[in-house]
Amino acid sequence: MTNINLSIIKHKHNKDGVFVTMKKGFIKKWVTGLTIGALLLTTAGCGGGGTAPAANNDSKGEAAKIGVIAYLTGGGAAYGTAIKEGLDLAKDEINAQGKVQIELIYTDSRGEKTEAINAANKLINKDNVVGIIGPTLSGEMFAAGPIANQAGVPIMGTSTTAEGIPALGDFVFRNALPEFLAVPQAVEKAISTYDLKKVAVMYSNNNDWAVSGYKTIESTLKKNGVEIIATETFADKDTDYSAQLTKIASLKPDAVMVSSLYQEAALVLKKAREIGITVPFVGTNGFNSPELIKIAGPAADGAIVASPWFPGKADEKVQKFIADYKAKYNNKVPDQFAAQAYDALYLYASALEQAGTTTDRQKLRDAIATIKDFQGVTGKFAFDENREPVMNATVLIIKDGQFTELK
Amino acid sequence: MDMLLNQYYLQIAVFVMVNAILGVSIYLTLSTGQLSLGNAGFMSIGAYTCAILTVKAGFPVYLAIPIGGIAASLMSIIIGFPALRLTGIYLAIATLGFGEVVRVIVLNLKITNGALGISGIPTLGTKISKMLSSFGLPQKFGGLSVQQTSTLLVLLILVLILVFLVFFCVRLNRSRVGRAFAAIKADESAAEAMGINTTYYKLLAFALGALIAGIAGGLSAHLTFFIGPKDFAYHRTVEILLYAVLGGSDLVFGPIVGALILTLLPELLRSASNYRLMIYGALLVTMMAFRPQGLISEETVRFWKSKLGRGSK
Repeated sequence: MTNINLSIIKHKHNKDGVFVTMKKGFIKKWVTGLTIGALLLTTAGCGGGGTAPAANNDSKGEAAKIGVIAYLTGGGAAYGTAIKEGLDLAKDEINAQGKVQIELIYTDSRGEKTEAINAANKLINKDNVVGIIGPTLSGEMFAAGPIANQAGVPIMGTSTTAEGIPALGDFVFRNALPEFLAVPQAVEKAISTYDLKKVAVMYSNNNDWAVSGYKTIESTLKKNGVEIIATETFADKDTDYSAQLTKIASLKPDAVMVSSLYQEAALVLKKAREIGITVPFVGTNGFNSPELIKIAGPAADGAIVASPWFPGKADEKVQKFIADYKAKYNNKVPDQFAAQAYDALYLYASALEQAGTTTDRQKLRDAIATIKDFQGVTGKFAFDENREPVMNATVLIIKDGQFTELK
Repeated sequence: MDMLLNQYYLQIAVFVMVNAILGVSIYLTLSTGQLSLGNAGFMSIGAYTCAILTVKAGFPVYLAIPIGGIAASLMSIIIGFPALRLTGIYLAIATLGFGEVVRVIVLNLKITNGALGISGIPTLGTKISKMLSSFGLPQKFGGLSVQQTSTLLVLLILVLILVFLVFFCVRLNRSRVGRAFAAIKADESAAEAMGINTTYYKLLAFALGALIAGIAGGLSAHLTFFIGPKDFAYHRTVEILLYAVLGGSDLVFGPIVGALILTLLPELLRSASNYRLMIYGALLVTMMAFRPQGLISEETVRFWKSKLGRGSK
């Protein structure tokens, strides 16, 4: 490697300000080629080592190939990594139990829809997977879902919460509790607990998912006869919310509802407490993150969110999952992305077992569609006739920097 | 053959073609020496116009795509008048701003469905496969599924569009207009002194580029089921510009080769998993260090021509 680099420098030096002859250009091309080749070889070597699927499955009969499309590199890599960790943990457990053998094939989507389409096509047509888990974002699912559906391959989103995803086709599932099922639980619980009459609503208007959450908040409030006295918007990555919050403070609402990701939500909470808004805040899934408490500190107290995943739940299965996850991943507490991915693979495993096949995509789809009374770490689970999840969320409130159940 | 006609490869080929068409669009604006970064904006106008027409107004796709292109082109003329008074980096900034304005407008309009985007756009592939089944084509035709046949046909349409565009550009270069473009690229003041109406030709190149970008946008909307404002953000502009930077902008084949390489590369590098974007970046840096004029320049063509000419004798 160093040799090649040295020769590059030499050539460059020779040529400074001198007319480039054809022969020198030729040498240069070779050097470039060699450098690129060396780079490719070294990096490809590293990559292969990190993601090679466990090959020891082969000894116990044929493994069912399940493809995963996840946001593994780029801005949302944290989500993809959590999903991968949850899946890997589930895979090891399932393979150890021995009822079915599963091989996971990971593909990266970078959070982009064309990449998600390519990944889905690769998994379906090249790797011949029997089912797919992912993609991570709803926007990616809107592009990749129809591809899988056309090809007749079951696809299950573990974090795609936007409205209308299973409507893409008979093969499209999700085990992520959509906003329009989770948010109303939090809003209604807050209304009954705090006897809300008039509230203010804030949301991030350049985030598809936050807008969808806002619409759900709005319709739930209308249904319950609560007056919306102000609707304020902001954008992702905004840092100053004083204008919106000052206006809201002057209107004296009984509560504020916020639909945004955790970064913005945390800053909103901080600013709101600073200018003296002490009422409860109800949030969409963005509130459901330990990061929110980390950033907002004591200001996060009184924030309410509905979540299918609650690590504090006194459930044997949940506590075992947390312990195993911590043991495997450096004492990290699993978030809801990891938990839902973990459950998704168990859903696939139970469907594979029931279908009695590792290759028949149609049979697998039918088996998934009939899943009822599945007990996962995110609670009791079933698919309804529209392939939407039927599951209960726990309404949580932040107290003294901890998520606790709102009773 | 079966290996080659895999749906996965066909899909990638389809994306290569769309990106190559985008490459032609940036080539046209660059052919007068204007660095415009508004292509993603024009693409977005084309894509949204087209998607709204087909999804909400029920227009047929073959009508909606050209209308999308024309809408983008009209927009480019409106903003072109003031913007093309600027040159170089100032024009780049102005057109970049335009792209962002389009994105924010799309984000806030009701008809574009804001940040949620438009989903459930009928794709060319499904349209064609429906048409084929209505003609009574069996599920398997010559060993190909209906899906494969329709993707192949989509690919064929895209190839035809691209071939037409290349032919158009090659002919354009030999015409009065093309010579005027070249003169403006070489030296704008000198071209003006020679009696060339520089505003007219610059605007023409700009509008042609926008037309093609709009058509590419319409095509991409009808290939991916879904469009959202994020798809046409700043990074898309940079991607399009990279096709020209990597491939070279002297000849129309440059950006096409650039689009081919840059679309294939992330897929070829899939086996490198997490490192693939690093390799992608490293390759670009290497390119810039060793071949700043792009892969294909006029000298390259002359070099290969003389070499092949000697070989045949």
